[in-house]
Amino acid sequence: MLKEYTCIMCPRGCDIEANIEDDLRLVSTEGAGCPKGLSYLRQELADPRRNLATSARVLGGSMPLVSVRLTGPIPKARIGEALAVIQALRLKAPIQAGQVLIENLNGLGTDVIATRQVPAAGSPEARR
Amino acid sequence: MREPFDVLVIGAGVVGCAIAREMSRYQLRVGLLERELDLAMGNSGRNSGVLHGGFTYATGSLRAQTCVEGNHEFESVAAELNVPFKRSGKVVVGFTDADMKSLERFKARGEANDVRGLEIVDKKRLAELDPSAIGEFALFSPDSGILDPMAYTVALAENAAMNGAEFLFGREVSAASRREGLWELTASGETFLTRWVVNSAGMDSARISAMLGIPGYVLRGFKGEYFVLDKKAGAFLKMPVYPAPDEKGGFATHATPTIHGNVLIGPDSYVVDDFADFSSRKNRMDDLVRDGLRMFAQVKPEYFIRNFAGIRPKRINPETGEVLDFVCEARDEAPGVINLVGIESPGLTGALPLARRALGLLAARESLKPNPSFDPKRPARPVFAEADGQTRARLIAEDPEHGEIICRCETVTKAEILSAIRALPGAKTLDGIKIRTRAMMGRCQGGYCQTRVARILRDELGLPTEGILLGRKGSKMFTGSVRE
Amino acid sequence: MKKEVVIIGGGPAGLAAAVKLRERGIREIVILEREENLGGILRQCIHDGFGLTRFRESLSGPEYARRFIERVWALDIPYVTEASVIGLGADRHVTAATRNGLIEYEAEAVVLAMGCRERTRGALAIPGERPAGIYTAGIAQAYINLHNMMIGREAVILGSGDIGMIMARRLTLEGAKVKGVFEILPYPCGLPRNVTQCLDDFGIPLHLSHTVVDIKGRSRLEGVTVARVDESLVPIPGTEYEIPCDSLILSVGLIPENELSLGASVVLDPRTKGPEVDEFFRTNVPGIFAAGNVLQVHDLVDFVSLEAEKLADAVARHLAGGLPPRGGVELSGDGTVGYVLPRRVGGAEDFTLSLRVKRPFRNCEIRVTQAGHLVKSLRLRKAIPAEMIRIPIRAADLAGAGAPAAAGAPASAGPLEVGVLC
Repeated sequence: MLKEYTCIMCPRGCDIEANIEDDLRLVSTEGAGCPKGLSYLRQELADPRRNLATSARVLGGSMPLVSVRLTGPIPKARIGEALAVIQALRLKAPIQAGQVLIENLNGLGTDVIATRQVPAAGSPEARR
Repeated sequence: MREPFDVLVIGAGVVGCAIAREMSRYQLRVGLLERELDLAMGNSGRNSGVLHGGFTYATGSLRAQTCVEGNHEFESVAAELNVPFKRSGKVVVGFTDADMKSLERFKARGEANDVRGLEIVDKKRLAELDPSAIGEFALFSPDSGILDPMAYTVALAENAAMNGAEFLFGREVSAASRREGLWELTASGETFLTRWVVNSAGMDSARISAMLGIPGYVLRGFKGEYFVLDKKAGAFLKMPVYPAPDEKGGFATHATPTIHGNVLIGPDSYVVDDFADFSSRKNRMDDLVRDGLRMFAQVKPEYFIRNFAGIRPKRINPETGEVLDFVCEARDEAPGVINLVGIESPGLTGALPLARRALGLLAARESLKPNPSFDPKRPARPVFAEADGQTRARLIAEDPEHGEIICRCETVTKAEILSAIRALPGAKTLDGIKIRTRAMMGRCQGGYCQTRVARILRDELGLPTEGILLGRKGSKMFTGSVRE
Repeated sequence: MKKEVVIIGGGPAGLAAAVKLRERGIREIVILEREENLGGILRQCIHDGFGLTRFRESLSGPEYARRFIERVWALDIPYVTEASVIGLGADRHVTAATRNGLIEYEAEAVVLAMGCRERTRGALAIPGERPAGIYTAGIAQAYINLHNMMIGREAVILGSGDIGMIMARRLTLEGAKVKGVFEILPYPCGLPRNVTQCLDDFGIPLHLSHTVVDIKGRSRLEGVTVARVDESLVPIPGTEYEIPCDSLILSVGLIPENELSLGASVVLDPRTKGPEVDEFFRTNVPGIFAAGNVLQVHDLVDFVSLEAEKLADAVARHLAGGLPPRGGVELSGDGTVGYVLPRRVGGAEDFTLSLRVKRPFRNCEIRVTQAGHLVKSLRLRKAIPAEMIRIPIRAADLAGAGAPAAAGAPASAGPLEVGVLC
């Protein structure tokens, strides 16, 4: 069966036409601009993975939220689970940029990190 | 239960606020019941902002009299209340013999109405008056002007409040009955007692009139839509330019510069049944653009800022459909009622003259004691956008909140926004801040400042996130927090 | 206060320019930023995908900004936050408002890096009522990501630009139901990877050739009416249907924010809505330069940084008196191209040409010609309006005004024309 994919490995977004058998086996492809496209497709078929970027609640900070993301992609099917853990967080300022908020989230092998700093409210760092 | 009022005004539009302000010259306990959450939410905030000359109204009519009176006195009114105003003049342009006849009729009528300086001018003079006006000749009315109708309403309200008037928003009058010589009004679940009721309910005035014992008035809604154009378009227009009227005497789409430098295209006019539907309709908008381009070359999508509409409640003869004059009356069979019905254009121009007549009706029936502490002056508030460099530096030195520019398009500072919230009656919604400061009126339509204004409003009034409203009751901006 | 360079805007363009200027030895720099922190629009773009070319990592917006902010701190580059520039003169006098008063600068060079604003409902004259619940995508993003304020529960998104698609995902992740993304053109306006990651992943339908024709709701939005459009983008009568929703998110275009530029008599290009510049990012006003979204709306922040760094090189040369006189070779695109930048070049030095095609092309060739002579050709499997195309042009391939014609270059300096052959 022929299926069209848009590779997401880089902004080029190559359109790859893939010949797939039994919904699983990649027979052939056309259109990938680089080998990463093929790896992406294989991964998509076998075990699609995604990263997650969202916010976590911060108390006592110069801002009410800290933006967070995972350090690596996780199975697409487990995004909801990861989201729920992050949504339940209530962190206390100050938060450092890059700080690991949760190590090895639910045994998935990736951490949740803060992608910005959130200084304590009213501190000189807050207006930097 | 509150102490009974002496006067309760129904409707906090420009006329209601003018009435409250005039009433506050006397020792009267004055209140206003307004169904919306703020001032000027009916037609007072949905019009062309024109101070009319008065040459189109039937001689001797209340429209004509109040218009001309209001027109002549507006310099001193604007000075007293510290509102922006410009006696820009106005031209009504024509092309054909039929047009010329219309204009000559208006000139004659205007002169009979005591309108000053009306002139029929030729093409050359027209070009001098306004280079963008397209026409063979025109009627020039030098006394016509432009003002900010919302700022004017706010100023009247603040002066009324300064002098003791009490504003009660979110109170929609649903019932009225006589009780021991007083009126008992039911409004949004509350009961108010008052000796006098002034019906200044605009679009709702016929219904309120019937409630107060004077049934039979019929209002027909004539909706008018508008385009607001960028100030860049405003650079091309010096004064309102109207086309010569049609056989029925009504004006088609025209171009009006605003006092702040924008341009309004419109209004058109079509009959509607639903007096609460201010939506813009596609076919009407398309026609406005087509007709607007006949008057003004800058009606271009790159200049579109937004659209709005008003609904003129014209009092009509239900049999003939003829549009009738304003009503401003007191009747023996309806004691304690001062009744204004069918007030629309030129109600903005004639607001204070109407208010004085309303007051006069009351004064004819009881002796009034002057309020010794009445102050007609409403203090000027700094407008950062209009200040020069030196003044700006001084303003910031006096109040550092002036150093925080919130609305970049209109250069409005945090101090001005706080001032709008802290005023009496103060802004409680985003639109309330908008009409008092001009924040969010610029070309980015709040793209930069709305998030700031919303948070300033929330923090200053201690609102929960779901309590931040755009303007009307129930116009919640947010469903809650993202994270608790 | 006298400065060598005043940079208006502390977002990615301003930050990259500042760092490069300092690396080039320029001392008297100041960045003026109106927010509390540096970073610009990146502060609210918490999704990843930034820095793929530059850092070979997939960073979030704040992390990308932080790379530059840390350099600003390390290099001790002066900046003022909560400073709004309220005046810019053609004489390069800059006035900024702060809580501590007005700051006045006399600058030898000014870098315009103010970014862009969003197109509004009013600008499109979308009919209907005016209830609460209508937001441009950027405002919705700021409320949700920065201010912890949730804008609605059931959303319709108009416009398939990147911000709209990013917000489709963001809203869904925060529990809102996104009923669909409606795009007036017959193709998506944002990057393909966003169609995959933001829409397909969440089962959000993308309706091409559709637009919103009516808005209902007195106080809060109750629903919108959408309709299919024809090839002229005109709604087709009879195709309308209503979608109940409480939020309408508009992602209908970005406009470079050049009000300050106009105040300084900077001439704008009507096609980009940004300043007309040459290959050194010079506007028509001596000493005023522009880069980033204020110059042309970018889709990849990595290119914003690159552009700003090239600008910084030019500014450094300008301060040393070393920029060549302005050139007269004009650049233009034919009907297949939306715009070409820069507007004109001298042709004596290599430069990068940026362009966007007007509609999608497959298996095409972008041709840059001068007086009929092919200067550069670029073959692409795919060219879409959503992706800026950058083409390096060598001076040696041009006949620049005043420069001697190199071997193989056209004899006379004519304008450069850019078009797509398919």
